[in-house]
This record gives sequence, structure tokens and C-alpha cells, in this order.
Amino acid sequence: MNSPIEFTRSARRRLRMTLPMLLLCGVAFAKPPIPTTNLDSAQQAISNAERVEAATFAAVELGEARSKLAAAQQAVSEKEMVAAAQLADEARASAELAAARTGAAKAAAVNADIKRNTATLVEEMQRKTGDTK
Amino acid sequence: MNRTNYITMKSALAVAVAASLFIGCASTPKHPLGSEQVRAKLTALQGDPALANGAPVALKDAEAAVRDAERTEKDLVLAAHRVYIADHKVDTARSLAETRVAEQERTALNEQSEKARLNSRTAEADRAKSDALIARAESAEQKLAANSARTDANDAMLAANSAQQQAAELQRQLEILQAKPTDRGLVLTLGDTLFSTGKAELKAGAAANLDRLTNFMNEYPKRTAAIEGYTDSMGSEEMNQALSERRAAAVKNYLVGQGVVSSRLTSRGRGENSPIADNESAAGRQQNRRVEVVIDQAPTN
Repeated sequence: MNSPIEFTRSARRRLRMTLPMLLLCGVAFAKPPIPTTNLDSAQQAISNAERVEAATFAAVELGEARSKLAAAQQAVSEKEMVAAAQLADEARASAELAAARTGAAKAAAVNADIKRNTATLVEEMQRKTGDTK
Repeated sequence: MNRTNYITMKSALAVAVAASLFIGCASTPKHPLGSEQVRAKLTALQGDPALANGAPVALKDAEAAVRDAERTEKDLVLAAHRVYIADHKVDTARSLAETRVAEQERTALNEQSEKARLNSRTAEADRAKSDALIARAESAEQKLAANSARTDANDAMLAANSAQQQAAELQRQLEILQAKPTDRGLVLTLGDTLFSTGKAELKAGAAANLDRLTNFMNEYPKRTAAIEGYTDSMGSEEMNQALSERRAAAVKNYLVGQGVVSSRLTSRGRGENSPIADNESAAGRQQNRRVEVVIDQAPTN
């Protein structure tokens, strides 16, 4: 009958030997992990772009972001994790561009609106003053 | 001579080789495909004075990405990936800067808009005011009121003018009549030439003298006249009193005969009273024999 202490010792010894072996195996054979952070960031960037109505103002960029993310997910399923990370980052960059372009387009639209209103006002005023004359 | 040339040539060659080596070294790290275009885009953005400071964080991010894209990379997929990222980041930075510039412009645009709105409102108010004025002016009532006011003003002016003219005319006539302003009124003295001695009948030549008085009285129908007869001290007092009364009455009758309402005229005899000259001399007595017409100071008309 082995004492519990002796069992523990032998188990520890065994562990000490197997852990480096497992790590070695991991490095040698395991694929890189799923680039979850990159994928999440890309998804978040796309959601953000959708929220600011990028579908209306920067449809091309948003579409590209979506297809890049889809490609990234495809790469994940094919265990191409490096490609998946790159595609996810590209999806994010595209989505961020979509959001930025949307912001610029909206700002320009608002300014154009103000300009048009002002011009209308001025024109109206001149016409009315012209009428009274 | 030859030797010097040789050395020169040799050193020139060395310089050339060194230069070519240097250039070779400099150009050796080949930039990945597309990275130069991205760099150019970045440079353009940085060189745009309006946009360069619009989105500093995004621009720094883009700069780092461009540097990353320019790194020599044997993995062409990775190199293309870096260029893609850099390209998008530069575009993003530009868009963010454009947004910022637009937002800054908006302040000025809003001010312009506000100014235009204010002008428009002011113009509208002015227009409303002028419309109201026109409407008011066009209303018959106002027109009538304006006309009547104008007429009133004209009348007042005419009245003023006529009063002035009449006053001037009165003055002129008083001068003709040789009336003197006294505390009793305007006193017109008619000399004894009107009557023959001891008689109360007007002489024919008196008419011209009295006609001026008649005209005056007819022209100023609101004025009244007190006709007073005076004599010198020759003869009895009773006789003189009676004579003065009859002479005054004769003048009054003449005026009534000329159309002057009798109620405007009073006559009385003062006899020998109130001599205006010495009764001792013939000239003095002549002056005392007189008829005075006192015209009241009441205003004309």
C-alpha cells in the first residue's frame, strides 16, 4: 500500500515530465488560436458603421467590410487563422472608413442644407423687396 | 602630367563607385507594391492646410500604418494586407478631417443663416409697416381726415393772412382817416369844415371826408363808433350843447343813410367841454369846433 504522500510525489514527477512534452507538441502541431479579438473588433466596427447609416452614405465600404468579415470567418472554418486575422483587420479598417465617410457625407449634407436655406431666404427677401418697389 | 591625370581619373572612379554603391544601398529595400501610392496619399493629406490638423489621432494612426506598409516584406500577402490597412486608414483620417472642417464651417454658416433670417424678418417687418401705412393712407377716412386737416391748416393760414391783411388795411384806413389811437379807442377828428357856422347841416364838401368813414364802417361791420360833437366857447352854453348834439346826430344820420346800422352808432353833444385848443384865438376856436368819431378797439370781423 502506497501512502498518499508518495502518490502525490510520483504524480508530480510525472507531471513535471509531461508538461514540457505537451507544450512541445502544442508548438509543433497545434494551429494558431482563432483571432477572436480581431473578429470581434471587426464585427463591432461594422455594427458601428451600420448604426451611423453607412449603408446609405458609404455602401461600398460597408459592403467590403462585410465581405471581408465573411471571408475571415470562412478562413477560421478552414483553420487559416493568420489569414482570418488579416481579413478581420481589413474588415475593421473598411468598416471604420465607411463610418468616417458617412460622417463626412452627413456633415457636408448638413452644411449644404444650411447654405441652401440661407440662399433661399436671401433670394426670397430680395424678391419680396423687389415686389414692393 | 600623365600621373596627375591618372590619379584624378582614379579618384573620380572611386567616387563614382562609392556613389553608385550608396545609391544602390539606399534603393535596395524595395517598398512593397502599392505602398508608394499610399505614402503619396498620406503626404497629400498632410500637405493640405485645411485638413492636416483636422483629425490628429487618426492621422498618427495612418502614419504608423503607412510606415508599416513600407517595411520590406517577403510575405506578399502580408505586405498587401499592410498596404490595404494603411490605405484605408489614410482615407479614414481624411474623412474624419473633412468632417471636422465641415463642423467648423457650420458655425459660420449658421451665423450667416441667422443673419439672413434676421434681415428677412426686419425686411418683413418694414414691409408690413409700409403696407400698413399704404393701407391707412388709402382708406377714405384717413384721406378725408388728411384733407380736412389740410383744409383746416389752409384756412388757418388764410385766416392768418387775411387777419394780417385786414389789420394792415385797417391801419392804412386809420391813417387815411387820420385816426389817433387813444385810451378811449381810435379817435377820428372831423374838422369844422363839415358845417357852416351855427348850422348843423353837413356841407356838400363834407361828403368826401365822411365817405371814408362810411367805407370804413361798412368794411368792418363789427366795429362801433361813438360820434361826439364839440363846439368852441363862443355863444351860450345851452346853445353850444344843442348845436353839438345836432351836429353829432347829423353825422350819425349821414352814416345811417350810407347803410351803417344805427345800433353801431351813438351820438352825443359835448358842447364846449374838452377843448383841444385855446378858445381865445380864432385858430384855437376853429380846432375846438369839431366832431370826434371814437371807434372802439374791438377786434375786426
